[in-house]
Amino acid sequence: MANNLGRGGGEHLLQKMSNQEMSYCLKNNLEEIPALAEAFELFAETYKIPDRAVFQVNLSLDELLTNTISYGFPEGGEHEIVIRIALQAVTLIIEVKDDGMAFNPLETSEVDLGQELEDRPVGGLGIHLARKMMDEIEYNREENCNVLVMRKQIQDL
Amino acid sequence: MNIKAVKTEKATVLIIDGRLDSNTSGILEKEIFAVTGTGEKNLVLDFTSMDYISSAGLRVLLLAAKNMKKAGGKVVLSALCANVKEVFDIAGFTSIFTICASQEEAIQAV
Repeated sequence: MANNLGRGGGEHLLQKMSNQEMSYCLKNNLEEIPALAEAFELFAETYKIPDRAVFQVNLSLDELLTNTISYGFPEGGEHEIVIRIALQAVTLIIEVKDDGMAFNPLETSEVDLGQELEDRPVGGLGIHLARKMMDEIEYNREENCNVLVMRKQIQDL
Repeated sequence: MNIKAVKTEKATVLIIDGRLDSNTSGILEKEIFAVTGTGEKNLVLDFTSMDYISSAGLRVLLLAAKNMKKAGGKVVLSALCANVKEVFDIAGFTSIFTICASQEEAIQAV
């Protein structure tokens, strides 16, 4: 059954969908990202997911959500972003769904890591980090939504 | 995130406590700006108590390093935990920053 956790006046909704699945709903507000990280840490503790994988998933989610929240809603207003995380055997499957502007983060160009300090551009690292830390990231535009699915093996990390 | 600034003879040390992410990177950016505004050329960032960094934090570090270098100074980092070190490796930052094991070594490396 759904287990709703209210958080100090906020409207966060943490639901345990089944034994090895959680979903989390956040508004397009950067300040909500750390609470999502805490909710996933709780989930990870229950299923003994290694700390390193937890960090990598939280960082990847942070990077993708920061992008979506910062640039995905140019008209402003309140929007909901839904995150579903499932542990299937030794693989974490993470889905992020938002109704923002169509944006495929996988189409951004690769970062050149060989440049000297003076020449390094100061942006574009977020998606790079997520791509390197996850085993797989898939993007689909479904109806009016961006849907990202990430996969991460948690064994032998 | 909290930042404590300690002025030493060779550099100003900023001790960062907590998460350096899109919510908090602006605080560090302002603090670095305030320190360099006093004419300080060398910065040591102590990450002993920083358990998380995202690209928003990396951006502030890269900007600071570029500006300090232009001013004839340096940014040295110390005490990266394993997770933060991994982010630095993947971002290619390990090769563009001087990274030391402790704050004391970092001050010496300035």
